[in-house]
Amino acid sequence: MRDVAERALDEAVAAGASYADCRVVVRTVQTLEVKNGRVARVALSDDEGVGVRVVVDGGWGFAGVDRIDAREAEEAVRRAVRIARAGARLRSAPVRLAAVAAVTGEYRTPVVIDPFSVSLERKLEVLLAADAAMARVPEVRVRDSSLEFVREHRLFASTEGARVDQTIVESGGGMDATATSDDEVQTRSHPNSFGRHQLCAGWEAIEEMALPEHGERIAGEAAALLTAPPCPSGRMTLILDATQAALQVHESCGHPTELDRVLGDEAAFAGTSFLLPEMLGSFRYGSEKVTLVADATAPGGLGTFGWDDEGVPAERTVLVDQGVFRGYLSSRETAAVLDRQSSGTMRAWGWSRQPLIRMTNINLEPGDSSLEEMIAGTEHGVYLETNRSWSIDDRRLNFQFGCQNGWEIRDGRRVGLVRNPLYRGITPEFWGSCDAVAGPDEWRMWGVVNCGKGEPMQIMHVGHGAAPCRFRDVSVGPA
Amino acid sequence: MLRHSAEECLALADAVLAAVPEGEAEVRVVEDDLALTRFARNTVHQNVAETGLSLRLRLVAGGRVGVAEVRGNAGGSIDRLVRLAEEARRVAPAEDALAPLPAPDGRDGPCGWSDATAEATPEQRAEGVATVTTAAAARGLQAFGALSTRATQLAVVSSRGVRRHGRRTAAALSAVVRGEDGAGYADRHAVDAGDLEPEAVAAEVIETAERNQGARPAETGLHEVVLSPYAVQELVGYLSYIGFSALAVEERRSFMRFDERLMSPSVGIRDDCADPAGSPFPFDAEGVSTRPVTLIDGGVCRDVVHDSVTAARAGVANTGHSLPQPNTIGPWATHLVMDPGAVPASELVAGVRRGLYVTRFWYVRVVHPLRTVITGMTREGTFLIEDGRLGAPVRDLRFTESIVEALDRVQGISAERRLQLGEDGSSVVVPWLHLGGFRFTS
Repeated sequence: MRDVAERALDEAVAAGASYADCRVVVRTVQTLEVKNGRVARVALSDDEGVGVRVVVDGGWGFAGVDRIDAREAEEAVRRAVRIARAGARLRSAPVRLAAVAAVTGEYRTPVVIDPFSVSLERKLEVLLAADAAMARVPEVRVRDSSLEFVREHRLFASTEGARVDQTIVESGGGMDATATSDDEVQTRSHPNSFGRHQLCAGWEAIEEMALPEHGERIAGEAAALLTAPPCPSGRMTLILDATQAALQVHESCGHPTELDRVLGDEAAFAGTSFLLPEMLGSFRYGSEKVTLVADATAPGGLGTFGWDDEGVPAERTVLVDQGVFRGYLSSRETAAVLDRQSSGTMRAWGWSRQPLIRMTNINLEPGDSSLEEMIAGTEHGVYLETNRSWSIDDRRLNFQFGCQNGWEIRDGRRVGLVRNPLYRGITPEFWGSCDAVAGPDEWRMWGVVNCGKGEPMQIMHVGHGAAPCRFRDVSVGPA
Repeated sequence: MLRHSAEECLALADAVLAAVPEGEAEVRVVEDDLALTRFARNTVHQNVAETGLSLRLRLVAGGRVGVAEVRGNAGGSIDRLVRLAEEARRVAPAEDALAPLPAPDGRDGPCGWSDATAEATPEQRAEGVATVTTAAAARGLQAFGALSTRATQLAVVSSRGVRRHGRRTAAALSAVVRGEDGAGYADRHAVDAGDLEPEAVAAEVIETAERNQGARPAETGLHEVVLSPYAVQELVGYLSYIGFSALAVEERRSFMRFDERLMSPSVGIRDDCADPAGSPFPFDAEGVSTRPVTLIDGGVCRDVVHDSVTAARAGVANTGHSLPQPNTIGPWATHLVMDPGAVPASELVAGVRRGLYVTRFWYVRVVHPLRTVITGMTREGTFLIEDGRLGAPVRDLRFTESIVEALDRVQGISAERRLQLGEDGSSVVVPWLHLGGFRFTS
C-alpha cells in the first residue's frame, strides 16, 4: 500500500501539483439480517481502492480508482490533475491550506473481542434469539434485526510528508418490532432506530446491547402503541431520552457548526448555517446547561480515530460552552479562511470520495440531573423516546422531530403511554429552554450511521455522546 | 468513461459462474464512472471523479443462500468472491421453500444511453458551470451548484440461463443563486449531457433569485398552492417509498386500497421503465424484464410493483422491480411517471386568486406512513400568488401534510413535465400541480 501511495505522490508532483494527498483504503463489511424468523441476509463484502487529491494551478482535483496498483494510481493522479486544471480557470483565488505538522504514526481502534473472530453462527444465534423474543407478541407483524461489522484499513500520505496508517473497527446491531392494525403502524426499536446502534468497538458492544433480552419489551410496547391515546397537544415541558437528544444534537448543533456550510460550500445541497463567524464567542446558542464538544478522542464513538483524512490529529473542540457559541468543525482550507487551525474533521467515505468536513463525535456534556429527577420536577409534559422522523431547514433553525413513543407526565409522574408524538422548535430558542441534563451515569455514546452530505453523496458514521435532557415550554403534539 | 465493454462484463460474470462449485448462482457486475464539478460563490471548489467495478454473487444450494460482494481489483478476486459467498451460505439455516432464481423471460427494451454523457470531459463540465456562474456574476449574484455526468453498466448472469446487459447515462446541473437577502433554485436532469440547457438553468435560477429578495413571513394554515416539479417529485417519490411496493401492502404499512378512489380523478401515476421522458432501463437487479405498472389511475389505487419474492408469495406475475436479492426492503418503483395535464404551467398560477407558489421542498421525512403524512420545509423561492400573478416572496415555511389528501385536492396539472434522476439510477417525471389546499404548520 505504501509503495502505491508514494508512486501516486511522485506522479502528482511531476504533473505540477503544488499539494497532493493519497488515501489507500481496504474496507471489509459483514452484514447479517434476520426478518420474521428467517435469515434474510448473510452478506460479506470487500472494497478497496485509491483516492488521490491534488492542487494544480490553485484548484482542487480528486480521482478515485478501484485498484491498489501503482500504475492505476498514477492514472488516477493524471485524471485528478486534468480535472483540477479544468476547474482552476473558474477559481477566483487559489486554494490556501492552514499549516499542519507532517505526522507519521499508526492507530487502531481498541477492541476487547475482535468482531471478525466471532463466528457467523454465533452472530446468527443472537439475531434469531432476539427475533424469537419479539415473536412472543402476536400483534407484531414485522420483526427485523441486524448486525454489522466493519474493518477499514486506511493509509494516508501527503506531499508534505504525512504518513499515517489506521485500522478502524466498528460493531453495530439493532432490532425493530412493527405492530399493525387497520389504521395504525407502530414500530419500537432497540437500542436505537435507523436499523442499528454502532460503535468503534468490538463484539463486546453487541453483548452490551443484549438484543434478545429486550425483544419482548419492544414488541409489547409496539403493540401497546396501537391503542394508546394520541400525544397531548400544546406548549409543555419536554424530556428527551438520550437517543433522541443525540439526534437533536446531530441536526441542530453538529451540522450548523460545519464551517464549509457556513462558508457556502454546501449552499446548493445540504444548505448553510445560522451560526456565522461574527457570532463566535458571543452568540447565546443555548442555556448555561448546554455545553457541546466535538471530540474525536472520545472512546467508542464512530467519529473516533487517530488522524482525520488530512492527517490532522484527533482533537477535542468546544463548540458551545455553557450556552455560548465558541467553535466550528473545520478543515485545513476552511480554517485558513478564518486564520485558524483545522479542528481535524475531514473525513471521506471510502477511497472513492474526497474528504469533507464531517462530524466526529459531537457530544452534549453531561449535567447534574437525572431522568427521574427531571420527571419528578415536571408538572405537565411528555417524555419522548427513540426517533421516528426528523426534519430541519437548510440553515438548521426550524425543526420538527417525531418519536416512536411518549409518556405523558402529570404532577411529577408518568401517567400513560401516548402515540405519534411530535415536537417542533427553533434551534437557539429550544436549547435556550434546556434546564436540565442528566449526569454521567446516564450519559452514553451513540452512533448515527446514516449521515448524508456532499455531492456525490457520502454517508458517514458519526458519534454523539448524550444523556436525557429537559426543555421547558416546547410546542408538542400528535402526528 | 467506462473501462469495460459489454462483452467483458458478461465474460467476467461467466467466469464467476464457472468458479461456483455447486448449486444455483447469480452474478451481478456493475461498473460505474462518475464525474462531478461543484461550484460555490461563482468558483469551482470541488472537482471529482471516480471509477469502479463491483462483483456480487448470490449462491443458492441446499436450501441456503449466501451473498458476497467485492469492489476493487474485481477481476483478480473471483476466488475470494466465491469463497466469501460460500462462507455466508454455509451458516444460513436451510429453508424448505426457497424460491428458485428467476428464469430468462426473453424480453428486452431500451436503455437511456448517451455517448456524449459517457465521454463528457472536465473541460465541458467547467464550460457548463461557467455559463451559470458568469450569468450570476453579471447580475451581482453568487451561484452554487454542481454539474455531474455518469455512466453505468450492469450485467446479470445466472445458472438458470439469465444473461442480461444494460447501460445508462445520467447528467445533471443544479444551481442555487443567492443575492443579499434570498435565493433561487433550478435544475435539469437528462440522459444526454447535451440536453442540460445551462443557459436555461441560469436564466431560471437568476429570475427566481431576483424575485425572492426580502421575503416576509406568511401565515401558516391551509393554502391553495402551485407546486413546481422540484416540489412535486418529492410528493410522488415519497408516495412510492411509503406505499407502491407489494411488500408494504403485505406488511400492512401501505396506504394503497385497491380499486378505491383516494385522490383526484385527474391523478395518474405509473411506473414505466420504457417511457422516453424518463431514463429507460429494461430489467431489474435479478435480470427480470421490468413491466409497466399502473399505480394510480383516475385517482384510483390500481396496482403495486413486485419482485420475484413478493410475486411468488402473492401468486401473481413478477413485474421486475427487484433490488439485489435477498433483501428486506422489497420491490422498488424506479421509473415513476405522473400523467401530464393539458394546460401550460403558467396558466396554473393564473387560476389562483390567493395562494402560494412553491419552488422546492427540503428535508422531507415521513411522519405517519399509513396516512402518508410527511413534513418538510420550503426552500429557495416561495411566493405569494395574488389575483393570478406571482407576487411577493415569503419566508420558508414548514409543511406537515398527507400526500394522498393533498393529491385529492388537485385542481390543475401542467402539460409540461420535468425529469429528476436519482443517484441510484431511478427517475421521476412530474408536472406542475395546482392544489386546492396544502397545510403549512410553522
